Amino acid sequence: MRIVFALLMLTMVSATGLAQTRYFTKTGKIIFYSKSPMENIEAVNNKVVSIWDITSGQIEFSVLMKGFEFQKALMQEHFNENYVESDKYPKAVFKGIIENSSALDLTADRSATVKVNGNLTIHGETRPVNTTAVITVKNKVISAATSFIISLADYKISIPSLVADKISKKITITVNISDYKLVVKK
Amino acid sequence: MVNQLRLSKGNILVIAILILLGAGIYFYKEFNRKAADVSNVEPAASLTAIVLVDSYESNEASANKLYLGKTIQVTGAIAEINNQQDTLVNVFIGDDNSMHKVSCLLDNYYLASVRNFSVGQQITIRGVCTGYLMDVEMNRCVIIEKK
Repeated sequence: MRIVFALLMLTMVSATGLAQTRYFTKTGKIIFYSKSPMENIEAVNNKVVSIWDITSGQIEFSVLMKGFEFQKALMQEHFNENYVESDKYPKAVFKGIIENSSALDLTADRSATVKVNGNLTIHGETRPVNTTAVITVKNKVISAATSFIISLADYKISIPSLVADKISKKITITVNISDYKLVVKK
Repeated sequence: MVNQLRLSKGNILVIAILILLGAGIYFYKEFNRKAADVSNVEPAASLTAIVLVDSYESNEASANKLYLGKTIQVTGAIAEINNQQDTLVNVFIGDDNSMHKVSCLLDNYYLASVRNFSVGQQITIRGVCTGYLMDVEMNRCVIIEKK
């Protein structure tokens, strides 16, 4: 993700002048879950890139749509080819702000609930997402977790009528960042 | 001839049942099909990690046209091994001086073998290219060769 990279470069270049603290990960996890009477569908992506500027509260996530792994190959193919059209829209991106981020004390073991507001882009469509997240510090490891529900129609993802009753129109998205690393200032 | 004709109704029924059963088995298998093990998939391209990263860095859209969603085989030096409790192992290969590498998430079957890996070793990995974030990402990777 070029934007993430640009941000990272900016951090490194401007680090001397500005007192900014940024955390970064390449191994975040996003799970999406669709529950319906016929069948539950779950897919996992273990390569979420995220950068969080504690000072300004800005937070970003990027994920590759083709990186979602399903239990069944057929579902994965339908997901990529028919629903999210991952050849055309290979990435999903969230850009937002964590409220009162700079007030968070991440030096001691603790757990805090924060408000996150931002915009999520999937399938080329951008919609606002407002949710809460839990930031946890344990043995100096910073982790973050959130979960929210999106509607497929909002992102113009259409489900063929043949299977429309098998697939839920609401999808639960769970984000788990197990290890935010401090960006080393060079 | 008469005999065959007399049996035909029953035959048709049997054949119809067989066809339905066959179709049923086919759809059931198709529906439950797991993702293919890429060690049995002929790679669409074989190249070095440096060439792959360069092509993504210079033009992501055209690199996607060549590699996105395809099984490819990449050779390079191991730059980093990220092992999360032996359940998810990511091997980064490519130029140590570049910020961008090829990030290979290993297929479960290969998790144990990663203990013998060390940074700097030359390795050839086959996997499915899922695109470009910070690194060129590959999933369901298998080890083809290690020197």
